[in-house]
Parts: sequence; C-alpha cells; structure tokens
Amino acid sequence: MTHTVDRSELEELVYETCARLDEKDFKGFLGLCDPAFAYKVSAYAPEVQREMTWLDRDRAEIEEFFGMLPKHNTDRNPLSRHAQVTKVRLDAARQRAEVTSTVQIFRTQLDGGATELFAVGRYLDTISLQADAPRLLARHVKLDTRDLGWGTHLPL
Amino acid sequence: MSRNSMQWRQRPKLPPTHFADPSIYSDPDLFEEEKEKIFKHAWWLAVHESELPAPGDFRTYRHPGDAQLVIVRGEDMKVRAFLNICPHRGNLLVYAPSGNAKNLVCIFHQWAFNGKGDCVDIPREKAGYQERICRNDVALREVRTAVSYGGFVWVNLDDNAPSLESEIGSALDYMLPELEAEPMQTLWYYQARLKTNFKLIHDTNSEFYHDYLHIYNRITGMLKPDTGYFQRKYTAFPGGHASVGSMNVSYESYKSSGRGQLGWPHLAPNGWKLVDLFPCITFNLRTSVLRIDSYIPVAPDDVIYEFRLLGLKSDSPEIRRQREKDSAVIWGPFGRNLHEDLLASSGQGMAMANGSEAMYVLQAREEDLTIHDEVGMRHYLAEWSRRIGRSSSDPYASERLAARAA
Ligand code: FES
Ligand SMILES: [Fe+2]
Repeated sequence: MTHTVDRSELEELVYETCARLDEKDFKGFLGLCDPAFAYKVSAYAPEVQREMTWLDRDRAEIEEFFGMLPKHNTDRNPLSRHAQVTKVRLDAARQRAEVTSTVQIFRTQLDGGATELFAVGRYLDTISLQADAPRLLARHVKLDTRDLGWGTHLPL
Repeated sequence: MSRNSMQWRQRPKLPPTHFADPSIYSDPDLFEEEKEKIFKHAWWLAVHESELPAPGDFRTYRHPGDAQLVIVRGEDMKVRAFLNICPHRGNLLVYAPSGNAKNLVCIFHQWAFNGKGDCVDIPREKAGYQERICRNDVALREVRTAVSYGGFVWVNLDDNAPSLESEIGSALDYMLPELEAEPMQTLWYYQARLKTNFKLIHDTNSEFYHDYLHIYNRITGMLKPDTGYFQRKYTAFPGGHASVGSMNVSYESYKSSGRGQLGWPHLAPNGWKLVDLFPCITFNLRTSVLRIDSYIPVAPDDVIYEFRLLGLKSDSPEIRRQREKDSAVIWGPFGRNLHEDLLASSGQGMAMANGSEAMYVLQAREEDLTIHDEVGMRHYLAEWSRRIGRSSSDPYASERLAARAA
C-alpha cells in the first residue's frame, strides 16, 4: 500500500519525535520509529579533519540502551529539542522521504531553572512511507557542537 | 554521629600519604605553583603524528604552561613545534586548529616562516630595516619535540628538562608491543571544558574503586569472578606513573557492547591495559581501540579535557566503523561510562570549590595493591609533593610554622 503524504505530516512526525524524547517517553519515541530504525550521531572535528561517529545503534541496541538507562548514573537535567524542518525530498519509488531539519537543543537546570544551549546541529531523517502512517527509519544527528561538557546518555 | 565544624576539618588518624588537603584541588596559588614547577617542565602529549601526515600539515596545541604552540611537519617530514607567535609584533601565527601551508604566513604584515621555523620572507625587508635586522634574526622559537610511544608528538617548553624517555622510564613498556605494532590513526578528537580540577579527573583513571559508579563495570567485570577482576594489580613507576594489570572483560555480559570480535595486534582478545602518566595523561587500550586522555589545566577549577580515539592506519572503512562503534558504547560524549566519570569528577569540583568547607580527601584503601587499592592516587601525590616542594596533605605547613615563629 502506498501512502500519500503531505509535508505537514512529515514535519509533525519530526516534531513529535522531539516531544517524545523531551519527555523521556522512549516507548512513545520508538512507537514513531520503523522496526528497522537506525540512529547515529556524528560530528566533524576540524582538529583532525575527520567525521567522528559518536553513536551508531540499531533498533535492538537502542531498545536495550533505553532499558538500561534507569540503572545508570546520569544527568537528569531535561533537554528540549527545537527542530525546524528545512527540506523534504520524497522518493516515491522507494516509498521514503528524506527530511532535513536544523535543531537546537537546550538544557534546563533542575536546580534553579536556568536554560543553556547544549548543542546545535541537524537531523538528517529518513522516513518510511510504507505503513499507514510515516515512520522514522533512520535518524542521523549531525552535530555542529562538539564540546558537550560532561555529555549525556540521552539521544539528541 | 554527624560531625561539627572542628571534627569535620580534623586531620584523619592516618599516615599523611593516605589523605590530601582539599586545597590542592582548588587553591589558585597552588595552581600557579603547579604551572611554574610542573606544567612548564613536563612532557605533554600534544597531538598524534597521523593528524599531520603530509609535509606542510600543521596542528595547534594550547600548552598548559600558558603557551600557544603550532606543530608542523616540514618538507623533510620532521615534526617540529614552535610557539604560535609571530616574532614581529606578536600576532597569532596560525588561527585554525589544523591545515596545510607551504609556509606559515602571518596575516598581519605577511612575514613568512618555513617548517623549520626559519623566517623566509619579510615584505620590503631592506627598505625598512636596512642592515639592522634581517630574516635570520627573527626565526620562530622552537619547542622541544619528541615523536614516540606509538607516534605521539610530545612537547616540552623547558630546553633543559630531562628527556622524554627518562621521564617516562619503563611506565609504558608493558603497552609498547601494542603501541608499536602498526602505525596508528586518530579517529576521534573530542574536547570538553569542565569545571573541576585536573587532578580530580585524572584520579578517575587511577582509582578503580569507582567501579561502583558504573553499572557497566559491575556487570562486565566486578561481578564476574572468572575475569580476574580483583586479581589485577597496580604497578607504580618512578615519576608518578602507574599501570594496571591486564584483565579479560566479559563484554558478552552486556549485550549491546558490540565488543570482542575485533581486536588489537598483540592484545589478548577482550584484553585491557591502562597506564597513567604524570601529570595527567592516560593510555587506555581496550579490545579494539586505544583511548588517550590528556588534560589541559586552565585554572584550579577549569580544565580542558582532551579525548582521542585511535585505530590503525591500515584499517578498512568497515573496521574503522566497528572500532568507533565499540568505543561509542562506553566512551565518547554519549558513552555509558565517560558521562558518569565526568559527572563524578565535576561533582567533586563543585563540592570542593575554593572557599568551601571541604574535608581532607581520603585515599587510604590498602588491598595488597589490587584494583580497589588507592595506591595509584597516593603514588601520584607523592610525586606531586616532590615537585611542588609541599606535602599534599599539608601544603601550607612551612607558612604556618613561619607564622607561628613570628
Ligand atoms: S605581527 Fe606578524 S607580520 Fe607583523
Ligand atoms: Fe570510570
């Protein structure tokens, strides 16, 4: 079954993934993802002139990771992901869409509520149009920010 | 029972080697002494030679002794380091962290320098300087450089400091077969600014009692008696360096570790070797990747944490991807352990900030030099005390005595 989509449906999917992650609703996030979902975070290091892949997980790995998260010591200050879809390319033959967004991620301190910019970059999403609703098939977070301080366990 | 102020600040009833005065982690004057007595005379790991493979390639390095350096590979393929400062009017010579240039040309008045540090061009030289100054008088300041222990580029600001080999001694010997098996390649360079003292974060690499911080270590090592976890021993080397004996990590216990298939030449499958070097460099080799931590102390409560990941130059793209993937599980800014390590050392920085009423820091575990013994930190601070000329458990003893006498 070929699903016909309009741009707003794809945009909504991207924004909904942000909302699910912001709320640490990992089940909800995975519900928006295709069974073959793959997730990757990379950044280019001008120091060594190389692309660095900081995370590279398939769906099983990411599910296991979400399961382990409560056992880890981790930064509990919430992140909020502000995405803006900038480009949508439909590939009707493969029933896919390539969606590019810019994203800014802010971190708000639980203690006192100050908000700071945590990272900026882009989401390079591949969205499957095969099911009755669009599903996120792959997300590549391409970060401009490389100094992430003490880091995070959360997907961006 | 809780303690009142006096009890809290009381020296522990332990040998002075077994606790540290908290001011060594926060006092600005002690930090200045560290800079003068340690940083400006130590060998620092600045870059890896794979980061400047071709003639004309350069890299910059912020030296903890407050100097900006530029490291250049010359036409003769030799790697040299210079102060990144133009001898004309003191402009920064190179702005980008890496690049390639036939000559380093200052943007300001276009003086040019070759890879040997010679000044090769001064615009309108004779017209302005006549015979009073010529390009031979204005070469760059070269900084001592050694390329060693697996192709790392080490620098020392002190022209009279002992050689790198004599400073490291035999501390890296047990990792040399792995370091020198094949030419290596930097895969990641990651830098993070942290609000803590550099020694506190170096400590997380020299005490393993903090396995309790990491669910990952408990599952893959500590709770597995067959891994030899508790049999590992510290070896202390002269100069404040220490290594930790090898073990087999049962990565299988942690499903998505992705480790174990891809190894490293000469390293036992699932092996792990770690060497801490004074003042703050760690070589950490686990199954398929070499991780190098190096720190650039900026202030007593401010440090630039540098993290490198290395594979082999001969790696295919697929193998390289696997090395990165192996590493990303535990290390890297999203890794399970690195985030926990940095949370803890930053927490120490917050709690023991200058002016806080911090207690003496305990480093008193003795377990026959096995993995939860805190000998690594004690050994480090013994060297620190020797170099600074102050006891780490009582750094201001001489001032106190002098005040009392007066
Ligand atoms: S300051 Fe560099 S050429 Fe003048
Ligand atoms: Fe750790």
